[in-house]
Formats: sequence, C-alpha cells, structure tokens
Amino acid sequence: MLKPYLEKYHTNNFQYILVDDSGCVLEVDNPIFPIKVNDKIQDTHPFFEILNNLILIKNECFEFTCINLEFNGKPYVVDLTFRPQNNQENLLIIENLTKHYNNYQLTAQTRNESIINSQILVLKNEYLQEKETFKNNFIANFSHQLRNPITASIIFSDLLNNSDLSTEQKNYINIIQSANKDLKNRIEDILDISKIESGKLILVDKVFNLKELLNEVAIMYEYMANKKGIDFNFKIAENIPEFVEGDQYRLKQILNNLLNNAINNTTKGSITLDISLNYKRAKKVNLHFEITDTGCGINKEHLETIFNRFTNLESDVKIDRGFGLGLSIVKYLITEMDGNIKVESEIDKGSKFICNLSFKTSNYNQSQKEELLNKQLLKLEGRYNVLLVEDSELIQLTILKTLASTGLFYVNIINKGEELIPNIIDKKVDIILLSNTIEGFSAIDLAASVRNLSKEYKKTPIIVLSTQAYKEDIKRFKQNGINNVIIKPFDKKNLLEGIQKYLKKSTD
Amino acid sequence: MTVSKKIVLIGHFGVGKTSLIRRFVENTFSEDYKVTIGVHISKKTITIPEGEQISLIIWDLEGQDDIKKTRPSYLLGTNGFIYVFDLSRPVTFQDLNSELSFLKENYPKIPVKVVGNKMDLVNKIYLKEHQTIFEPHVDYFVSAKTGSKVEKLFSKLAEDLI
Ligand SMILES: Nc1nc2c(ncn2[C@@H]2O[C@H](COP(=O)(O)OP(=O)(O)OP(=O)(O)O)[C@@H](O)[C@H]2O)c(=O)[nH]1
Ligand SMILES: [Mg+2]
Repeated sequence: MLKPYLEKYHTNNFQYILVDDSGCVLEVDNPIFPIKVNDKIQDTHPFFEILNNLILIKNECFEFTCINLEFNGKPYVVDLTFRPQNNQENLLIIENLTKHYNNYQLTAQTRNESIINSQILVLKNEYLQEKETFKNNFIANFSHQLRNPITASIIFSDLLNNSDLSTEQKNYINIIQSANKDLKNRIEDILDISKIESGKLILVDKVFNLKELLNEVAIMYEYMANKKGIDFNFKIAENIPEFVEGDQYRLKQILNNLLNNAINNTTKGSITLDISLNYKRAKKVNLHFEITDTGCGINKEHLETIFNRFTNLESDVKIDRGFGLGLSIVKYLITEMDGNIKVESEIDKGSKFICNLSFKTSNYNQSQKEELLNKQLLKLEGRYNVLLVEDSELIQLTILKTLASTGLFYVNIINKGEELIPNIIDKKVDIILLSNTIEGFSAIDLAASVRNLSKEYKKTPIIVLSTQAYKEDIKRFKQNGINNVIIKPFDKKNLLEGIQKYLKKSTD
Repeated sequence: MTVSKKIVLIGHFGVGKTSLIRRFVENTFSEDYKVTIGVHISKKTITIPEGEQISLIIWDLEGQDDIKKTRPSYLLGTNGFIYVFDLSRPVTFQDLNSELSFLKENYPKIPVKVVGNKMDLVNKIYLKEHQTIFEPHVDYFVSAKTGSKVEKLFSKLAEDLI
C-alpha cells in the first residue's frame, strides 16, 4: 500500500560516492551534488582534502556533521560518512541537511546575539560606574584639599575685621568675608552633590528646637534684607511645635538656599517667610513653608527644569549662576524628607517657593528643655591646656589666634606624630586637638597610641580636626576612641563649640 | 607540488574567526555578524619567504564557550591552530589558561597561535590592565576590521608548519 506514496513523496537526501585511493570518483548514485565520475574529489571542494589523510586508514568509519559546502555558488550543509576500504573502493555518503541546519542557524544566531549584547551592556555599565566613582572621589578629594586654606582665610578675615581698620579697609574685609562664605557654600554644595550621587548623603534624626531655628534664620535674613533695603516679613503660626525630630542642619540648608535666592533676585519690595501647620497626627507634624519675594521672577521654560540640575550637570548645559546647584540639593533633601516643593513665578512680579515637610513629633517636655538651656549656658572657667597636633602652619596659627583671643587656653603645638606621646606623658593636657592630615600617621592610630597609655590617659578628650566630612568617616573616628570631630573649614564658633563640651566633662 | 596544511580557527562565538579568514582570503570585512554553525572550509595558497608554495586549508569552526565541546572529527589531521579571543569582551579570554592547556595536552605537537582580535576597539591602557593574562599567551593582537597583523599571523603560522 505504501509503495505508491513512497514513490510520490519520498525524497532521497543521500548521495553515495565511491572513490579510489587517490580520490578519483569511480561511481556516483544520486546527483544531488555536482560530483561526477572521474572528478578528483579533492578538487570539488577543499573539505575533501581531509580524505588524503584518512583514505589509508582502512576499515574505519569517519563521521562528520554539519559541514558547510558550496558547489557552483550554491551553499549546502551536510552530514558526511567516509569508509575507507581495502579494495580501492572507498565509500563516501553525503546527506543533504541544508534545510534542517538553516533552522538551527537561526536559533544559534538569536542566542549568540542576545548573549553578546548582554555582555556588552554589562561592560558598558561597569565602565560608566567606574567613571562615576572616579568623578565622585575626585570631587570629594578636591573639596577635601580646599578645606585648610579656606578655614584659614575665614578665620583670619574675621580676626582682621576685629582689629583697628579704616572704613575702607572694613569694606574690603566685608567683601572678602562674603566671598569666603560664598566659596565655602559652593564647596559644600559640590560635596553634597557628590554625596547624593554616590548615595552617601544620609539624613540624621535628632530632636531640635524648631522655633529657635526658625527665629535664628529669620533674624539673619531680616538683617540681610534690610541691608539691601528690602522688607522682611516673618510669619509663624502659633500652633507650630517647639521641638521636633529630624535633620536640623538640612532644614536650615533648605531655608538658607531658598532665602538666599530670594534675596539675590530681589532689589525692591519684600521677602516673606511664612510657616504654618498642615496637620499633626499621632507621631508626625506636617509643616507648610512659603518663601515669597517681589524679585525678577523666573521665566516659564526655566521653571520646569529649575530643580533638575543633576541631569544638567552631566551635559554641557551651563549651570545657572543665580541658582547654582542649590535648588537641586534642596529638591533632593525635601524628597528624602518625604516632602514636596513647587514654585510659582511671574516675570518682574516675583516668585513663591512652597514646600511641605514632615517631622516626627518629640515628647521633649519643659523641664528637659530648661535643662538643655542651662547646659548651654554653662560658661567655661579657668585655663585649659590644649595640645594641638597639626602640620599645617595655617591651621596652627588659626587655632592659636582663636583660642588665644578667648583668654582661656594655653596651646602647645606639635607638628609631628611621633612627638605626641612625649608631649602627653607627665604633662598636664586637658584636651588634644588632632589633625587628620599628619604625615605618616592616621588620626585613628595616634588616638589609639594615647588610649593605650596608662589609665589616666583613657579619659583625655581627643578631638579630630578633619578634612573628611563623610558620615562614615566621622563614625569611624568616634568608634576608635575619638570624642569629637570638628570639620574643616571651621570658624571660631565651630571650634569653641566643638571643644567646650569636652572641657566641661573633664572638669566636673 | 604544493603542500597543503590544515589550519583550524577556534575560540568563543563572535570573536571574529570568520572575519579574520575573510580578511585573509578575500581582503574584505563586514560589520554584520552571521553565526557560523558546524564548519566552513576555505583555501588560500601562499608563497612563503623560502619560495615554497603552500596551500592553507582553513577550517572556520562554530564558536564554543568551552573548547572541550568542539566536535573531535573537525580536529582530525590538523596541522596548526589559531586560537582567537575578543579583546573587547573579557568573557572570551577569562578561561584562556585552561583552554590552551586543553590544546597542549591533546595536541602536544601541533603549533598554536593565540590572537586577541578587535584590536581597533581597545587602547594601550586596557592592554596593560590585562597584561597578566595576555603577556604569557598572546602571539598577535590583530584586527580583522583594519587588517592589522592578519597577513602576518597566517604567514608566520605557515612558516612554522614547513
Ligand atoms: N571592531 C571590530 N569588529 C570585528 C572585528 N572582527 C570581527 N568583528 C565583528 O565581530 C562580529 C563577529 O565576527 P565573526 O567573524 O562572525 O565572529 P566568529 O568568531 O566567526 O563568530 P562565530 O561564527 O559565532 O563563532 C561581527 O559583527 C564582526 O563585524 C575586528 O577586528 N574589529
Ligand atoms: Mg564564524
């Protein structure tokens, strides 16, 4: 029954060929491939040159799969069996599997391409990440190196300002001071950006006096506004809680940024800082801040991208001088604090920045509050022996002048790490100020060498003056026997605040 | 009479085996990638400096991420190997050591040339970064795209075979 169907549909894919020991074709059955009697098989395709080696290995069977052949410009993919025999009749069987292998080729094509693409993508990402890390480290190191000179510049212009100067000289000093402040802020901004981009900017949760902070900010900007001949209105709702929990430094940074912009962009009229309560729930307060100015305003196209400086930082777009990097940091901080910010503005009429921020409520009560205030009011008495380990002459001078101006300190300065221990033993040292840039010594090792002395030195306060401002650096210091860290650049207030607490501890 | 020698190109897929052969045999190059399955065989006759003619029968194998997966029948009667990897993709050379020792153990007498292809895609700094892998093994840094060192690779191997 099958026979007629076989005759009709069976396709024979095999071609049998007999060759002699020299490769000369003796007989061919099915002419799928144009190989004819008397052809030398090696000349029909270079593949067959392999037979020269095999033809003498008699009574073996060699199988080849998936061989690409080409005859008269036409491609074939075949499987092939070769059986050399003793009688000069060597059998070659070729099976045409072109269709089958073409399908296989398509599968392999898709597979290989997708594997290679994913590898290339991984490489690209690695490369980009390396570039990013390099950039952030570069920025961090660079700002690190700027800290010593700026600290000196800030403190010395303060000192100069307090000396006997002519009005003209005072004016110059004021300009220098404001330039210093500007420079310091810009470095902080750049550092913040690099922290944000490398995920190192972490907010702290601490109880602080919100009303006091807002008042301080208001007083400062009222002063600055009045100096420019602008009115400053400060409105704070009665029901704003006094103490909240959050990151007071970052809140201040947000307000400073927005108020600075307002002052810079306004030449007449007024600036208003308005704070009200959105809601208060179980453990959360949500506050509403509005900063309104009557300044030059922001044009429409600018409004949309005003908070997006991060994206622009990558491209060649120039950073707008009026706003700097500040607003993108503000936006980031507010988002991190689960808040939101928006801006309304009209050219020549002014701008209004509106933001909502949440804080945790604090159960700080009145007596604790008084205790805190009392503590802050405690004044220092007597003379303290300070041992300063610092190899930057600028910073040495800076600290010497600052501490001397209070009349409370004797300062002993050394600039080599190895001199530290001899200067402590059998000497009266109330506090050690330790730079983190002493050549050949890390602050942590130096602190450890003090702590490893006898018991009486375990309590001597050690304060590191650090050019490293990252949270994890500070944490590392504190875990290694260091009591406090003062970050460069610092001013007189930072320095005194940083030591004061530890002097009290050591005397009571 | 010209002698003929069988040369086999092996290495991961996509490293440019087919491209190197096309550069050598036809002096062309294409950016397109067509995956080779099984094996393609081509032939080129060259004259080596001693004046001798030599027919190179070049076997272009399907790429494998592990040399042990290569079909043994393809390697019958091989006179010389060219092991190719892709300089721009570390996966293709991270196992270079074990790949080459496989050849050394199983085909101890057969010369092997090791080439890093796609030289046009990398720079000197990159080569230096991977020096510990490249220096002990690599004979030529080549580029099928620019043709750099391709001719030299094949003719040096041919000389070694005589
Ligand atoms: N830039 C550059 N690209 C190359 C070079 N050589 C090959 N390529 C590209 O790399 C891809 C793969 O090349 P092939 O020659 O097909 O690689 P193969 O090793 O034969 O790959 P399989 O057949 O799958 O084993 C193609 O897109 C080529 O254009 C080179 O020297 N430089
Ligand atoms: Mg190929």
